Amino acid sequence: MATTFTLRGFGFARSAKTEPVTTEKPLVRWSLIAVAVLFLGVFLFMPLAVVFASALAKGFSVYISALREPDALAAIKLTLLAAGIAVPMNLIFGVAAAWAIGKFEFFGKSFLVTLIDLPFSVSPVVSGLIYVLIFGLQGVLGPWFAAHDIKIIFAVPGIVLATVFVTFPFVARELIPLVQAQGNEEEEAALSLGANGWRTFFRVTLPNIKWGLLYGVILCNARAMGEFGAVSVVSGHIRGRTNTMPLHIEILYNEYRFAPAFAVASLLALLALVTLVVKSVVEGKSEEHEAELRVERIPEPIVVGPEVNAA
Amino acid sequence: MSIETIDISKRFGQFKALDSVDLEIPSGELVALLGPSGSGKTTLLRIIAGLEFADSGAVRFDGKDISDRSARERQVGFVFQHYALFRHMTVFENIAFGLKVRPRLHRPSRAQIRAKVQELLKLIQLETLADRYPSQLSGGQRQRVALARALAVEPSVLLLDEPFGALDAQVRLELRRWLRQLHDEIHITSVFVTHDQEEALEVADRVVVMNNGRIEQVGSPDEVYNHPASPFVYNFLGNVNLFHGRIDGEKTYIHERETGHVVYVRPHLLEIDRQPNGGSHFRARIKHINSAGPLVKVEAVAEWGDPVHIEMSQERFQGLQLIKNESVFVIPKDVKVFQSNEAVKAK
Repeated sequence: MATTFTLRGFGFARSAKTEPVTTEKPLVRWSLIAVAVLFLGVFLFMPLAVVFASALAKGFSVYISALREPDALAAIKLTLLAAGIAVPMNLIFGVAAAWAIGKFEFFGKSFLVTLIDLPFSVSPVVSGLIYVLIFGLQGVLGPWFAAHDIKIIFAVPGIVLATVFVTFPFVARELIPLVQAQGNEEEEAALSLGANGWRTFFRVTLPNIKWGLLYGVILCNARAMGEFGAVSVVSGHIRGRTNTMPLHIEILYNEYRFAPAFAVASLLALLALVTLVVKSVVEGKSEEHEAELRVERIPEPIVVGPEVNAA
Repeated sequence: MSIETIDISKRFGQFKALDSVDLEIPSGELVALLGPSGSGKTTLLRIIAGLEFADSGAVRFDGKDISDRSARERQVGFVFQHYALFRHMTVFENIAFGLKVRPRLHRPSRAQIRAKVQELLKLIQLETLADRYPSQLSGGQRQRVALARALAVEPSVLLLDEPFGALDAQVRLELRRWLRQLHDEIHITSVFVTHDQEEALEVADRVVVMNNGRIEQVGSPDEVYNHPASPFVYNFLGNVNLFHGRIDGEKTYIHERETGHVVYVRPHLLEIDRQPNGGSHFRARIKHINSAGPLVKVEAVAEWGDPVHIEMSQERFQGLQLIKNESVFVIPKDVKVFQSNEAVKAK
């Protein structure tokens, strides 16, 4: 009690509200806020508004027909397929990687972490080229696949592979710090209580990382659907067959068909908005979860001793 | 169940955590592993639990070698230093966990689990908090839930890692008495790790004093406190004054300079008087008096310049009416002498 009192005397307790010591003059404050708002307006809100405005510029029927066009439908399907494969795969990879890195010490651990980060640091175009060099006709494994009549480059498998590669770090990156921070104690407790590995994972580890995992999956999905560079290199742009949504948009745009291009683009923009909403909900949830863990302990007089004998 | 460790060694990289440790814990005893941080006590406990594996040596339960068994198969109850409660489960679910994860064949029915958890909740006196989450509990409450969770699986051995380390002094004191009482009731072989000598001496049947990955002494609290086997044990179990000294026949001499021997005297075994009273004594000047608490602590400077700590009862202090800077006679009532090279090792 005495400590709290002294601290308050020095003004620490006020920091919960606005702290006059760290506040600038009104002029500085308002100009900083104006710069931030202007920046956000020009670089975020305006483009977003333009996408939807251009999409609907020629009327709602044009918008709808642009989306119902067979090529557009094929592109949407392919995008959903690629994301539908890439996201679950990276979910499993990510959890496994985070588990290994966060819970164990082993030789080459930092190398593995670097490897997981690789897709972030490599340009997506290079990522795509890697697959062309491996699976392309002139590539390392290409002739073998060609001989067995398996098409990877300029076909759906190549697109899925490129998407998996580019979105690989999202789940792992999100989970590693979380798993590391949580340590091993709860798992050890579960083990000493007789739980086996799978049970420990599903009943102890997974519930502790679920919000972080969901957050990683959301980001991973957004990127999987929006990926352009790597997919562009391996796709071959065959309309109705190997075009994903971003590629389809590019083709429409290059053909000066702005309204349909923006119509499809609006779907991706919509996805981004939905992602943002879900993300903020999840973030709120996980913060709540964190806060729950940090709740001040409830002081309560402990009655121990004589009662034990009575019991 | 009795526990035996035979020639256990463990390294972490360059650091030798345990150096051929032999220990025998008879069935039903409450034993404290006592030592400073880095002495290997927690590592030894984790090796007994199967959470860590020794580089060499064996662990036996009731004479049976279980060194290769995993923590899951050893059926030990382990209470972690920071409780390690499952944060997303309620108190009830935490305690029930060990029963729920049993293979279907050995799993008790829902009603049996409920009854068992209720019984344990009653034992730890938290019946009303069954639906709370760990984050909503105080430290002492969490500790008791962790204990109940470990006991739920009816372990043959209970292991506790610094069970009271993270609690404030008041709660600590109550909880360790409670643990003692609990042990008197259920008689499960229990080992707890602590760095607090007072805790070890008060709670345990036997104290294992550890230092630098080795066992220094094993004995009852009375034995280790009153008959320390090494200077380290003497030093670690309570405050002590160190003087240069020499043994000459039957007599012990305190010297001003390095002599090859070190004399250990506990502060309460030094008496202050205004007369020399004939026996062995030395002169000292009183520097500081702290009379708050059950014992009065006096800091003095010996005639040759070394600081001396003395403790006396309030009654004695009242009788003497000591004042600061007064010159008095200090009379050692009991001393212990060790070779200096041993003493240096202990430091």
